[in-house]
Amino acid sequence: MSSISYFISRLLQIIPTFLIVMVIIFMLVRALPGDPAIAMADAKATAEQLEQIRQRLGLNEPIWVQFGLFVKNTLTGNLGDSILLKAPVTEVIFERLPASGFLALYSVLFSLLIAGPLAFVAALNRNGWIDITIRSAFQIGLSTPVFYIGLILLTFLAAKMRWFPVGGYGATFWEHMHHLLLPALTVALYTSAIIMRNLRSSVIEVVDAEYVQFARAKGLPEHIILGRHVLRNALISTVTLLGLSIGNLMSGTLVTETVFAVPGVGRLMLDAIFARDYPLIQGLTLTFAVLVSIIFLLTDMIQAMLDPRLRVS
Amino acid sequence: MKKILMATVAVAAMMSAFPASALERGGSLTFARYDDSTLIDPIYADRNPDIWMVTNLYDTLLRTEADGKTVTSGLASSYAVAEDGLSVSLTLRDGIKFSDGTPIEGKDVVFSLQRAANPDLSPWAGLLASVDSVSAEGNTINIALKNSDPTIVLMLATFNTAIVSADAFAAAEGETDQDKSSSLSIEGFVGSGPFVMKSHQRGSMMQFAANPHYWREGEDGKALPYIDGINFLVIPDDATRILKLQAGEVDAAEFIPFARVSEMQADPKINMELFPSTRIIYSPINTRPERADGSANPLANVKLRQALNFATNKDALVQLVLHGAGKPVTSGLMASTTQLATDNGPLYQYDLDKAKALIAEAGVADGTEITLTTLAGSADDGIILAALQQMWSDIGIKLNVAQVDGPTRGAKNRSGDFDIHTYGWVNDVNDPAQVAGWLGYNPTAKAVGTGWDNAEFNSLYEASNTEMDPAKRAEQYARMQEIYAEAAPLLFMYETPFAVALSQDVKGYVQTPLGNNEFATAWIDR
Repeated sequence: MSSISYFISRLLQIIPTFLIVMVIIFMLVRALPGDPAIAMADAKATAEQLEQIRQRLGLNEPIWVQFGLFVKNTLTGNLGDSILLKAPVTEVIFERLPASGFLALYSVLFSLLIAGPLAFVAALNRNGWIDITIRSAFQIGLSTPVFYIGLILLTFLAAKMRWFPVGGYGATFWEHMHHLLLPALTVALYTSAIIMRNLRSSVIEVVDAEYVQFARAKGLPEHIILGRHVLRNALISTVTLLGLSIGNLMSGTLVTETVFAVPGVGRLMLDAIFARDYPLIQGLTLTFAVLVSIIFLLTDMIQAMLDPRLRVS
Repeated sequence: MKKILMATVAVAAMMSAFPASALERGGSLTFARYDDSTLIDPIYADRNPDIWMVTNLYDTLLRTEADGKTVTSGLASSYAVAEDGLSVSLTLRDGIKFSDGTPIEGKDVVFSLQRAANPDLSPWAGLLASVDSVSAEGNTINIALKNSDPTIVLMLATFNTAIVSADAFAAAEGETDQDKSSSLSIEGFVGSGPFVMKSHQRGSMMQFAANPHYWREGEDGKALPYIDGINFLVIPDDATRILKLQAGEVDAAEFIPFARVSEMQADPKINMELFPSTRIIYSPINTRPERADGSANPLANVKLRQALNFATNKDALVQLVLHGAGKPVTSGLMASTTQLATDNGPLYQYDLDKAKALIAEAGVADGTEITLTTLAGSADDGIILAALQQMWSDIGIKLNVAQVDGPTRGAKNRSGDFDIHTYGWVNDVNDPAQVAGWLGYNPTAKAVGTGWDNAEFNSLYEASNTEMDPAKRAEQYARMQEIYAEAAPLLFMYETPFAVALSQDVKGYVQTPLGNNEFATAWIDR
């Protein structure tokens, strides 16, 4: 199978995923107790007012009519209006997506910069004191709650030292880089720990493989052995993990976004759920489904590049 | 001697002309908020972050003084209620203008009030249910009423009756009134309040600029506001909001958690304000004879409800949850800052003996189980639960917990599927009718979901809604509060202030008892 047809077949697989997500999210959201009318007016509305709100939002229509409308509108690119924000869902999502995307890529970059070299150093000094120190440090990173690390960074590096602003997102690219450095670092401390562990064990596995010993016996210089034979093969499973992490991060890092006041989709999703904002929850979930599918597709493509066997099967 | 005397006189004169810190104009204020506004429109504002901003952008015909009770003139320079109480006439102030420089006229008032009273548009239309028609002749506005309404004057000083521009709405893009309002919210914004909307990035920041055509004068005899603008930053996390203030990146931060109030008070750079509010925290008790699952409900017995109230040490709750920054309620039906609130001291002062006696009279078995429904993730609710579990175990009540999210709690309240649950309230209007209707009048919302239905209370409430004699109305309210406290459909808890921390440079900012953020008189001392 050629790379192109492999790509197209993987692309087509997104369609059923998308349809299944549509059905599931539509049902799940309506299975939650409480409805948008109650969430909106919570403590204030009279029974009559609630009825009026439900009427206006079309919640009194039979469920299959609501679903039909949802499918029809979604396929024509109309995700409806957010009940909470009183604005079109697509507009709201596109406003918020860049901040989460920026944060996701920024933190993945940080994770790779931190995890990559350290994983190699740890693997090549297996069970030595360097290895143990690196692994222990990451263990602490993994087991400390994100909001706590975030607040510590904010307190010392932002509020005390004034090196960074206390939260926010900024307006220009460089402001984003400046504002999001601490949140990206916070997320990276967690993701890099996972990546480091995975990459370290893959490197150890590959270093002991026969083809590496053979390369060494051939007398190839060490940097070529590490670069061409070890790194390339060790990366295969790490790329999968990285794809999963990015997928996760794109759908928003709720706690980090809240602590650092980043106007991203993670916070938006939480607000939408608490407001039982059906159109917004549906819109966000579908967006995440598409994004995650695309990222997985890219992950598969990169893997296929690294490992030609995947293309053949 | 004479010289000294003269010098003293001169200093005294100077001091009265220039108070300790002389008022300064200009500069902009940066304010950290817990949540963002969505659509700040007098009639579409349905969440507190919207409601509490409306009067900065749109002015009302009448206004209330800072105490929230006394009515004074606003866009209307005078008003008169007819003898029979069936109409109100108002005279518009001369020379008032919208932020785009066009005059505010009778047609704008008619448009605004008709819009506010239209139940198809406004969720607040019920507050103007007595309005029959609105007309204007020159500068005179006439509001005809279907029935006498003691609240109508206060309603004209409430956010939902603020004045919008009829012309701007007619020219705005959009099919529905709400679409028009949305498109007007930034592009071509036209308002009547001290500020105008300059920019808004949803979920992150919002900017107001001073309205150059605003009419109200400041202490220096020039038009308000004193400041050039306000930048609002949305910082949902409490700790981050405080850090932002401590780092000097913002001038003020709202909703300071009560656990951190004393720390802020100790900081010499920070002015920790605890503004009196109409916010009450209480817990509705299901008074129906049966629970939603059909089992017998012990809480239907008023003696058990009273016993629980006596067994609850509210002072301890205030210490535990509010760290002392609040007080037990003194009226069952409303905060002490609300008009017509009676005050006979704390309700159901902690008394274990009385509680035990009532339990015995009620014949409630030892180890009876009751479930408290709390908000998942709420630290306050966690503390309340732990405290009540301990306090009520003294009278043989076993308190279980069910944790849910806000909308689920709301749905349980509406369907009566709970024993007791935590809840809170802030008045939106200056009259007690709104809160009394919600908490006690059964037809509104089953007396805050408790199912309590008292014929005397209901008829007093109905009568009070058309009673034009203030003394008689006050009597009716006093009796309603008495009945309510006695019947104890709630676990009466406490009232809390609004905690706002400001930089010492910020003067004149007020959050009213209704929660409205008043920036018109704020200024910065540089």
